[in-house]
Order: sequence, then C-alpha cells, then structure tokens
Amino acid sequence: MSWIKKHWTPEEADNWTKEDYISFVLSPLIYILIAIGVAFSLLLRWYGWVILGISVILLVIMLKIIDPKLKAVSEDYEEKQKQYLEDLEKITRWEE
Amino acid sequence: MVVFSFLDWFWLVVFIVLMVFCGVLFYRLGKRSLSDFFLAGRGLPWWLPAASVYATHSATDTPIWISGVIYQHGLRGIWYTFFSAWCAISAFASTKIFRRSLAYTQAEWQNLRYSGMGAELLRGWIAGWQVFMNMFVLGWVGIAMGKLCNYLFGWHEWIGLILFSSLCAIYVLSAGYWGVIMADFQQGVIAFSVIVLVSIWGIVAAGGPQGITAKLESLSKTWRLNPFAFTGFASGEFPFVWFLTMLVIAVIGGFGMGTSIDWYPEAQRIQSAKTVRDASYSIWAGSALIVVRNSLWAVAILAFFTLYPQIQSTAEYEMAWYRLGFEFLPVGLVGFFFAAIVAIHLSTISTHLNLGASYATRDLYNHYFRPKASEKELVWAGRISTLILLIGSFFYGMMMQEITEWLIFAIWIMTAGIWLPSILQVIWWRFNAWGYLSSWIANLGLSWLVVWILPEFNIIPEMPDHIKFWIMMISGALIYIPITFLTKPENMDRLVKYYVMSRPLGWWKPVREEAIKRGLIDPKTLMLKEDKANELD
Repeated sequence: MSWIKKHWTPEEADNWTKEDYISFVLSPLIYILIAIGVAFSLLLRWYGWVILGISVILLVIMLKIIDPKLKAVSEDYEEKQKQYLEDLEKITRWEE
Repeated sequence: MVVFSFLDWFWLVVFIVLMVFCGVLFYRLGKRSLSDFFLAGRGLPWWLPAASVYATHSATDTPIWISGVIYQHGLRGIWYTFFSAWCAISAFASTKIFRRSLAYTQAEWQNLRYSGMGAELLRGWIAGWQVFMNMFVLGWVGIAMGKLCNYLFGWHEWIGLILFSSLCAIYVLSAGYWGVIMADFQQGVIAFSVIVLVSIWGIVAAGGPQGITAKLESLSKTWRLNPFAFTGFASGEFPFVWFLTMLVIAVIGGFGMGTSIDWYPEAQRIQSAKTVRDASYSIWAGSALIVVRNSLWAVAILAFFTLYPQIQSTAEYEMAWYRLGFEFLPVGLVGFFFAAIVAIHLSTISTHLNLGASYATRDLYNHYFRPKASEKELVWAGRISTLILLIGSFFYGMMMQEITEWLIFAIWIMTAGIWLPSILQVIWWRFNAWGYLSSWIANLGLSWLVVWILPEFNIIPEMPDHIKFWIMMISGALIYIPITFLTKPENMDRLVKYYVMSRPLGWWKPVREEAIKRGLIDPKTLMLKEDKANELD
C-alpha cells in the first residue's frame, strides 16, 4: 500500500486527508459486516464466518491506514496539552 | 418468581461486594481534583474507556428493548439497534475534534466553538438539559431494574429501583469517575461473559442453529433469518427507506457532536483518554463490542421465538432474554446471571450519576456561581450533585410505566430536530450559537407536535418513524437556517482560535483564510506554524 502515507509529521497529520476519508468509509462498513457476520456465524452459516473474516481483514487495513496518522497527532498534541488546558480556563471563563 | 439456592445468593453477594469495593478503592484518586473526579485525570489507556462505553450502554432496559424488536421483526430488528454505529465515523472525525478541544463537557465545548451571550445561553441550556436528561435516564433504567426484581422475586418495583442505585452511589460518591471507570471495566467483563453464556445456552435450548432454522421453516417464518427482509421500498412494516434513514442517522451522525443521546457519556470517555489516539480507539472498540453484543442477543431472541412463538403481549416478549437465563440456566448459575444483571445495571447508573453531576458542577456551579472555587470545593459540589441526581431519579423512575414508550420518546426528543444542527456546528463555520439554540427550542416543540399532539387530534395521520424524522428535520431547518443568516457570524477571533486548536473538518474556508492572514497557518501546506503556535492568545 505504497499510496498510503506511513510517516507523518505532526503538522501534516493535522490536516484532513485521504487516509481519514478511507476510514470514514471502511469503519461503518466493518460495523455492518460484524453485525451480520456474528449473527450468521452463531447460526452456523458458512457465509457468516466469511463475512466475519472480511470484517477482520478490513479492520486490519483500516488500522494500517489511520494509525500512523493518529499516532503523529497524539504525540504532538500531548506536548501542547498543558498550555491548551490553561487557555481553556481563560477562554471559557464566565467573567470574560 | 425465581427461587434462589444458597449458591445463587453467594454469587450475588460476592459480586456486589466486589463491584462496590473495586469502585471505593479509588477514593484517594477521585478526590484529588475536579479533573480526577470527572475525567480520571485525562490519563486512561484506550481499553478502559472502551470497556466503559460498552458497559454503560448495556443497561437493564437494553435486553428488554432489543428482545422487543427482535421478537417482532426477526434478524432485521438488528438495524433498530444499529444507532450505536454513529461511533464508526465519530471515532475518526468528531471524537478527534472534541478530544483536541479539551472541554470537560459538551456544554463547555459550546463556549469554545461559539462566543458571547449566545454561547453562554447554550452552555447553560445544554448543562441544564443534561442534568435533567441524566436524572431521567437514571429513573428509566432504575425502574427497569425495579420491574425485573418484581418479576423475579415479587418485590414492589420501588425496592429494586432504590436498592441497586443506592449501592452504586456508594462508589460514585466516594471515587467519582475513577470509581465509575474501574467498576465499569470489571462489570463489562462480567456482563459480556454472561451475555455470551446465556445466549448460547438459549440457542442450545431451542435445538441449536439447525433446530431454530427447522422450527422457523415449520412456522413459515424463515424471513426472520434474513436481516434484509424488506417489506417494500416504502411500504409495510420494514420498508427499505426506513433502513436507509436509520443508516443515515447512525453513520452520518458521527460527523457531529450530540447527534445521539449516547454522545454525552461518550464525550466524557473521550476526554478521559490519555491521547487523541486512545480516545478514537476507545470509542470505536466500545461500540464494536456493542454491535457484537446486539447480534448475540438477536440470535438468542430468535431462539426464544422458536420456543414461544405465540406471545402477543409486548410486555411479555420484551422479557425474552431474561426468561432464557432464568428458565434454562441450572441452579447456581441463576445467581451468577442475576449478578451479571446487577453489573449491567450498576455500570449504567454509575455513568449517569457522575455525568449528570459533571454538568451540574463544572457548567452550572463552577461556571456561573463559583468561578473561583477551589478544587476541594468542586469535588464536594460534585458529590452533592451526585446525591441530588440519585434522589431525583427515584421520583422519575416511579413516574415511568411503559419503558419502550419512554425510550422512543427520549430518542425522538434528542435526535430528530437537532441531528442536522449538531453536525452543522462541527462542519460549518457560519452556523452560530443562535442557530443552534433555536434548533433545540424548535425541536422540543416539534417533537411534541409531530409525535404526540397532532396525531392525537387527527390533524395529521399516524406516520412511520422514518417519515416523522425527515419531517422534523426539514421543519426544524426552516426555523434555524433563517435565524442563522439573520444573526451575525461568531466572533472571528474565537473561530480562529477554535480552528487552530481543534482543526475541524468541513466548510471552514473564511476562518482558515483568516488564520493564514494572521500568519498562524502556512498558506501552501495548511500546517500550523510552530513559531506562531504560542501567539494564539
């Protein structure tokens, strides 16, 4: 999956990119497949296991796509969080 | 009535002591600060809030409601329970944005996104609404426990309502959110194990998968095995347009904040996660477990249907999953099953006690009355708010009789009219506080009119739920869109600050351009300029 970016700088990861949009599509699809797959697997239908298998594969793909980006956002944000928390008190104060 | 053996009582007492003790154990952490009492210090790894998401949304009324829809609709009833799928997109969209805002509550977020009097009114409105709503949910879940205890032991309903909510309050009052989250983890594990056990036991009791299929064939009800058994495009009791509406509400709703009543407890879990990544994964995984749980329940209820296919009374078939446990589990395991039901119950009660108290303390007491209150004072305010919510929930609980009716009403009142505005406030810069506030007020009136009053007086015919949803969404938009354009946009300073901090998605071009003009964002890469990051104030 060379078309998927694996290394992000925190600033790059701040922007909404195709990796996010792919996750928006894959994520609900995985939920739908899990819902149907679990039910049919419990009823011992072969296609239930196939559907569950597909949902697991899609989940792995989704994580490979979005995880490097989430990691980059998180690491950078943790450093700024203390300052932002102080700002939060100032911004939302009633007397302002 | 169910008769407990010594072993059943043993399981029950051991589990209750374990659950309450586990919560109280974190007393010292909970009292450290407001952030600890309501967000566990914002330092949790993803799997703890994930377990809490799952445990919180497995309440005593949940199997009642799911039994009802599956018994009526077969496997296609799964889609009635699919509203938790809003987390699928939210985990990577609104969760990310909300976690970066660092707001304690959704009400506080309004103060970051909007400015001036409109923002203050919105914060007060949402905080007040959430205090009421959490008390309401506590009453509604509490009375479900009361009904169950009445069914099992013949107790008066108020006993089950008061006894178990009060037990739960012991650890919520002492350890706050630390107690909630730690108890939720073990309650979630217990509940999930027992849901698997009882569901499989029920399926086996019905003759296994082959037995269920054979019985449905003999009853000419094989459509119950098909989750896509539509009755037509727009006609019948399960039309395709209903399914489509449900998917749109659930999935697209993930772009917004507050599109589902579940957003509010999830918002607390998002902020308690230690990083943006942990927040995203906690919401995704917790809801995925809910989807698995719903399917387990669905097949178990299908098994129940094959055992008892002739039940007409809603109140009777709504107890399907509980009946599978109490009628088919052997002596000794029944107590284990009831202990799991108590776990399911306490996890929901604890969340709503703490969540309602967070709005009362942070957004009402601290924000409007005592802005300079010490951390110690705020923790105590949190405890007193928790107690008030608990007592209030007893009164609400005793007022609710028909659980499903209340549940549907609550979903309507919280979803239809404010669904789109809750998305617009995240993705559209021009949507302002007055637009959002007016959508809430319009929704309250429209819910009563469209769902209750007008059909009651035969002014409009009874309509299917999905038609009501679109009517309420469009009629609401006719009120809040003009109000948005007739009032001023939000203050640009506030919008720029919010944009740079949260990096929302959608239509934010004028704000982005202003941020570029101020030198905060690089015009070519749209990245935040590191050297300018500290100039935001």
